[in-house]
Amino acid sequence: MRISPELTQVVLNALNVSDQAEQTALQQMTTGRRVNQDSDDPAAAAQEVGIAFQMDSCDQYLRSIGGIESELQTADSSLNSAVTALQQAISLGVEGANGTLSQQNRDTLAAEVTGISQQILGVANLSYNGHYVFAGTADSQPPYVANPNSPGGIEYQGNDNTNSVEINSGQSVVVNQPGSALFSASGANVFQALSDLVTALQDPNATTDEIGSATTELRGAFDQLTSARTFYGSTIDQLNSAQDVLNSENVQLSQQQNNVVGVDLNVAATNLTNAEEARNATVQAAATMNDLSLMDYLTPTTTA
Amino acid sequence: MSGLYGTLWIALGGLEAQQAGLQTSTNNVANINTPGYSREVPVLEEANPILQGNLVFGDGVQVEGIDSLRSDLLDLQIADETQQQGSSQSYVNAMNQVQTLFPDDTSGIGADISAFFQSLNELSSNPSDLSLRQGVLTAAGNMASSFNDAANQLTQTRQQLDLDAEQQVQQINQISQQIAALNVQLADVSSTGQDYSSFLDQRSALIQQLSGIIDVSQVSDGTSLTLTTKQGAALVVDGQAYALTTAAGSDGVQHIYSAQGNDITGQISGGSLGGTLQARDQTIPDLQTQLDSLASGLVQALNTAHQEGTDLNGNPGGNLFQPITGTGAAASMAVAFTDPSLLAAGSDGTSGSNGNIANLSAVANQAVSNGMTPSDAYSNLVFQVGTSISNGTAEVNASGAMLQQLQQQQSSVSGVSLDEEASNLLLYQRAYQASAEAISAVNQMLETVINMGAQSS
Repeated sequence: MRISPELTQVVLNALNVSDQAEQTALQQMTTGRRVNQDSDDPAAAAQEVGIAFQMDSCDQYLRSIGGIESELQTADSSLNSAVTALQQAISLGVEGANGTLSQQNRDTLAAEVTGISQQILGVANLSYNGHYVFAGTADSQPPYVANPNSPGGIEYQGNDNTNSVEINSGQSVVVNQPGSALFSASGANVFQALSDLVTALQDPNATTDEIGSATTELRGAFDQLTSARTFYGSTIDQLNSAQDVLNSENVQLSQQQNNVVGVDLNVAATNLTNAEEARNATVQAAATMNDLSLMDYLTPTTTA
Repeated sequence: MSGLYGTLWIALGGLEAQQAGLQTSTNNVANINTPGYSREVPVLEEANPILQGNLVFGDGVQVEGIDSLRSDLLDLQIADETQQQGSSQSYVNAMNQVQTLFPDDTSGIGADISAFFQSLNELSSNPSDLSLRQGVLTAAGNMASSFNDAANQLTQTRQQLDLDAEQQVQQINQISQQIAALNVQLADVSSTGQDYSSFLDQRSALIQQLSGIIDVSQVSDGTSLTLTTKQGAALVVDGQAYALTTAAGSDGVQHIYSAQGNDITGQISGGSLGGTLQARDQTIPDLQTQLDSLASGLVQALNTAHQEGTDLNGNPGGNLFQPITGTGAAASMAVAFTDPSLLAAGSDGTSGSNGNIANLSAVANQAVSNGMTPSDAYSNLVFQVGTSISNGTAEVNASGAMLQQLQQQQSSVSGVSLDEEASNLLLYQRAYQASAEAISAVNQMLETVINMGAQSS
């Protein structure tokens, strides 16, 4: 059989193959990815779309959790100062129920309680990032304003609604407590109780029992506030554990992404070496091939 | 004739024959890089012997003709494989442009759909914040323009392929004309009994070229040749070329008509034109339909959810996107308003409510297009585009390997070998020298004879 004399094409094809392998291996090593375009592995590329979507979601949930957590912490520490102030008001009430006090002493106590009421009003109107934290969802204006016709002279302008935020796929948490559950719950209104205590202390005809019952009313409002406040602690706990879950999900997702589209660097490096060796071998073979023409051997004899 | 003069004639015939061989070899070497060239060999024959008494003497050599070495079967196989190769290659080239429109990670439609839903979650923790509301509108706008870009580029790619197809039809017509013209020359030359192998070489090269563009069937008988498409539309019948024509169809692209006026657009499957048409008429329209379906499904679901809510001023929500349906949906996707306070994030009419964000976010997990969620529908597009190219590339490689093998086989029959020609040259040269030597020997002998006469007189 006659051998095909056109070896150039064979060499070119071989070089083409090894060049392509070299290029692929190089690209994989520089990008760290086995899939650099959809057609490299269509199934893996399609899978990565879903993984990227989940990773984005994880990152966003974590950002949201960070934002919510700092708002909840701010609210909680403000409520803590309100709780301390109320405790002080209660002890002022207990002190006022002592029959040995002069009216002047009771007036002084009343002034102190009024101050505390103002302080708590400040807490109840706390604003964070441009919205009022204890206004329910009607949070564009201060929830508590002076109004002589309202209980304790303070009117609640907010509503009873809460917002929920999704913190993981299918998991949402309530992120606010309306003032109506904290400060102005019906039957346990902090401002009403403080105002009643002030009225009792200022009234020269008030009996110690009357002052005592005003103090008891205040205790009821205090209990409501402290029990409603536990929402913040437990929500922050919930956020922290969601954060842990999300962080480990994120790690899992990046591992999954790496498995799907990432490259094993050892394999890529080996491929690169193999391709380079194949290329060198081809080039050397081609160089030898060119020396082997009969034409070259004939030249000296014909000129001789 | 015999005697010294006879010998002289034999030697002269030898000189001529070796010269013919030398010329053929030289011609082979000269054409070593000519595409389509088939190597030639001189056909030498013994001349009729001469009878002298009881003795039979050879009467030298004569050149019968020049043979061109080719395999018609291999030519046909190569033409077939070239059609497949051309088709897959042009399809892959077309789809490679499309592939960049559907990336799988950090950019494009998928990433922008994701970013839009993330912006909703971001807003949910502070729903009255105008900059976060603006963030949602911006993300919605980015998503819309990603759809617009992809849709417009698909349209542009299709238009480009349409132009390509038209140019390829022109090329087909040009080559058909050249082949028909060659057929006329071939018929002329062969009728005068001359050697026409170089015309066959040229014709075969042109048929290969044509096979790269369109699927061709050939029937040849001696110098006569009929070329049609695989489905039978005539391209060349002997000296007559039949031009294909193009005309815009109702679907906005050029349709291809046979010389008889039949629409053969859907029949062309091979050659680069076949691949171009496959991308232009099947794959890209299919992707456009899916993209439109995803865009309109997404817009519809988001608008429905948006209308359930209330905006910053307590008014009920309107459309978040301009309503779109059907063909061209993705290209015209646009956010319906620019005022961030109109975003209906709330559910109770207050500015601080985020109650409707859950409805909007839920769209991410709703079946919006062919039973798939937005993310799944996009990932399906990525899969389809990727698969079309990886399958096409596999075909290119397979037919490429096949073609290489066939070309090797063809070259082992028709290719010019320098080594072979070198040794032939040597042979012819030596034989020429030897014949020349014989002539000079006869010359000396004749001189001897002539001198003999001079002495006797």
